Amino acid sequence: MQTPFRLDAHPRRGPQPLSSPPAGYFEQLPTRIMAQVAAPARRPGLAGLWQAPGYLRTGLASTLLLGTFAASLWLGGAQQAAPAASLYAVPRAQLVEYLTSGETPVDMLDLAELPTHQLGLTARYLQPSATELTEALDAQPTEEAGLL
Amino acid sequence: MEDHEILAKFHAPASRNLAFNQLVRKYQQKVYWHVRKMVIDHADADDLTQDVFVKVWKNLENFRQDAQLFTWIYRIATNECLSFLQSKRRRFFLPLNDVGAELAAKLEADPTLAGDEIELKLQRAILRLPDKQRLVFNLRYYDEMPYEQMAEVTGTSVGALKASYHHAARKIEEYITKADNPGGAN
Repeated sequence: MQTPFRLDAHPRRGPQPLSSPPAGYFEQLPTRIMAQVAAPARRPGLAGLWQAPGYLRTGLASTLLLGTFAASLWLGGAQQAAPAASLYAVPRAQLVEYLTSGETPVDMLDLAELPTHQLGLTARYLQPSATELTEALDAQPTEEAGLL
Repeated sequence: MEDHEILAKFHAPASRNLAFNQLVRKYQQKVYWHVRKMVIDHADADDLTQDVFVKVWKNLENFRQDAQLFTWIYRIATNECLSFLQSKRRRFFLPLNDVGAELAAKLEADPTLAGDEIELKLQRAILRLPDKQRLVFNLRYYDEMPYEQMAEVTGTSVGALKASYHHAARKIEEYITKADNPGGAN
């Protein structure tokens, strides 16, 4: 006949039924824990930024982003200016020789500079009145005239 | 030192470290054994105990004193244990009893239980309980914690805790009875 096991009848071993921790464990444990909790306080550094208020972190991040953008614009402008500046340093004769040689040479006439003092020449021809314009347009045959 | 004295000293920056040191010394053994009974292995219990007190340090300033300090610490320790065991089960990607087998193996290796067959059977039986039920059993059977305090620690009603302990005790008795009488019927 089996004897049922009764928990109430079993002598309790006490609150620590398993083997004890190593000797001196509880003497050293507080020191080890204090070393963990005190350590972060001694090293503020960049890690402290994570503890900063949200608005401060947002401001810092925005400043950093704008600064990066401004720097990239400035650097990009400087790079673009550099080729133009270096082009001015090339002798004129060398430029002409380069442009007029090769597979698709540029014609000398294309390189000719217009006399700047003649630019005012067309001024009187480009200021017609409304009447003059109407008469000029009426004098032009339209495509529809051929259909009449 | 009383809990309210520890808390008062902790809130003063100049005495915070000293207060916390005293808090650790006051509760370290209770926390350690509470954790150890759940995870069996000393190294795991050591890690978890430290984790518990680190969390206590981080949150003690916000402790509202609507519960006893030790109840609050016990609650942190309980959650750490359950999270640890849960993550262990997930990491294994194996059926639940494999983590149980690992804990059982550590139990078998415990020198205190060597030579004490009944106690070893009892510990094996307790280990077979679901984690939360095992926790309730340990708190009641070993720590003799009142159900009302246990309710604060676990966030479970007194009635549910009583029922859980009762069922745990019956399961343990049945397991040990069958282990003692492997032949079968009465």
